Amino acid sequence: MPRKPHLKWDGLGGGAQDKYGFTTGKPRPRWGSFNEVTAIDSTLISQYVIAGIVIGLIYSLMAVGITFIYGIMRIINWSMGEFYMIGGYLQYIIITHFLGVKEWYLGVILSMLGVFLLGMVVQWLLIKPMFEGPVEKRTEYATIVTIALGVLFTNMAVIGAGPFIYSPPGYYRNTQIITLPVSGTRFIAFIGTMILLSLFYLFLKKTWWGRAFQGAAQNRMGIQTAGIDVFRLDQIAFGIGVALAAAAGALLAPEFYLHPRCGSIATMKGFEIIVIGGLGSIPGVLCAGLLLGLIESLGSVFFNPSFRDVYGFLFLIAILAIKPTGLFEERERVA
Amino acid sequence: MENLNDTSISKLKGVSLLLAGSVVVCLLPFWTGQYYQQIFTIAFYYVVLASSWNLIAGYTGQFSLAHHAFAAIGGYTSALLVTRFGFPMWAGILAALSSSALMGFILGVLCLRMRAIYLAIATWAFAESVRIFISMTYEITRGDLGLAVPKIFLGEGRGVACYYLFLGLAAATVFMISIINRSKMGYYLRAIRDDEMAARVMGIHATRWKIFSFIISSGTAGIAGAFYGHYNGLLTPVMVDFNEMAFIVIMVVIGGIRSIAGPVIGAILIEIFTETFREFGEVRMVVFALAVIAIARLYNEGVVGTVRQFGQWISRRKQARKDVT
Repeated sequence: MPRKPHLKWDGLGGGAQDKYGFTTGKPRPRWGSFNEVTAIDSTLISQYVIAGIVIGLIYSLMAVGITFIYGIMRIINWSMGEFYMIGGYLQYIIITHFLGVKEWYLGVILSMLGVFLLGMVVQWLLIKPMFEGPVEKRTEYATIVTIALGVLFTNMAVIGAGPFIYSPPGYYRNTQIITLPVSGTRFIAFIGTMILLSLFYLFLKKTWWGRAFQGAAQNRMGIQTAGIDVFRLDQIAFGIGVALAAAAGALLAPEFYLHPRCGSIATMKGFEIIVIGGLGSIPGVLCAGLLLGLIESLGSVFFNPSFRDVYGFLFLIAILAIKPTGLFEERERVA
Repeated sequence: MENLNDTSISKLKGVSLLLAGSVVVCLLPFWTGQYYQQIFTIAFYYVVLASSWNLIAGYTGQFSLAHHAFAAIGGYTSALLVTRFGFPMWAGILAALSSSALMGFILGVLCLRMRAIYLAIATWAFAESVRIFISMTYEITRGDLGLAVPKIFLGEGRGVACYYLFLGLAAATVFMISIINRSKMGYYLRAIRDDEMAARVMGIHATRWKIFSFIISSGTAGIAGAFYGHYNGLLTPVMVDFNEMAFIVIMVVIGGIRSIAGPVIGAILIEIFTETFREFGEVRMVVFALAVIAIARLYNEGVVGTVRQFGQWISRRKQARKDVT
């Protein structure tokens, strides 16, 4: 006899249930929340833990992009959510007009490539002059420029595609991770994130470029003496960082739908993760991402699922109060 | 001697400009309709927000991205106290000041001992959390439906009264910030912004002054938000949308960051521009964003900086002519 799952997807009321216990129909779900807890037992807890790990790893993709850009250039890119949004829109255009849903993986690669190129152009036009011109305060300049860039992209999206919500078709059939029934798209996003993060790790550790990036994160001046063009490095780092955001946007497009401000929640999680993990530390980001996912998931089972997006902030405040440098402190060189 | 004369003349010019401007602004409601009264009232609200944000971001160099959230906290505190607990309006507004200042204190103590970037990140997350919190506690705040707030100044002549109220609020904020800026504290803040390490070496308790500046700035935003709620009669979580924060940044940067007049001019210009070109919708925001990017990229100092440079250019030309003859 098939065991009926304890959980139902939140916010999908009204539709008929399919054989996995999901209701059909497409209202907007919140970030991975469940409700209708029938009883708290070990299966249920394991389901929440797995759900937390899945969503936490997906959050980390965004945070790795933010922290990579921070590590190389010492600036925060505030328009990360807009690059996430652009990645999602590109993916939507590619799979609905050119390739078809079956080639979604090609779509993800193409939209990452597109956003990578866009990021390179943006860096060349706006961020690179920061290191050359008479900029007094680099953080101030970068903050103002990237916030303005975010406003620009959001409103261009509204002008170009209208203030509508787009929902691309799902990538895969609904499936199960150990005890947790999970939507196909989220499963794909989980797998895709794992693949991308491992590729990123291999890139950093094994290739010449990766070592150059590590060097730049340690000492920008030092690697210039080793004959590395640090501006070229910055450009590529910015491209890779925003491409990771675009990958998250493209992978999650069918799950959280597309609208001009769809990146804001993902960006918020990304920022929370990088502070919790310690600015500039990539292992810290992964740990903090998983922890954040777990805390949100368990917070919504033991407390109130409506506030799951607030738990991350409370966790951030707790970390700032107890260990302000984050869980994995990356010691920064001053000058 | 000549230099002294020059500065005194330019000071005289500045004072007379200020006087002329304030006379125009004071008499404005008598020869404009209600529509422009409202636009200017909202513009003065943004003057308060932009000037107080300029104190923390421009002068102290600490980017707070939750200024709109502090305004919303103030607005909701006052509105809830007045509607649910029957507080008088002035008590609600005082409570709004203390609640947003307290929030600023807590966030400041936690973030301001770290690098500047921590405050920006934590306040961004704070603002988003406040928005979600307000939407989700709909039993109390009525969430996205919007909370009806008892209005201030009922009856005939409400528009004019509110106009003068917000004018007074804006003038008080600008006055307070210029006083701070000229006092010792202003020097401390600018020293911290320019080089925190050097400021510490000089014996300035950097963290304490940063927190102080953050509390003043967020408390001012709280008062402005409370008055705005009582003026508008409706509060919604849209007030905490990031667009609002972007608006404040746009106003300050276009007007001229790190100047007293900049946020004032920026806020009034942008508010009039947005209202005049209302039918263009999002195109306005694209124009603003491009303007901000251009100003930052060309290392320009906004409207105020451009006017100042133009004035210097004119006086240099005059001097050159004098030298020739």
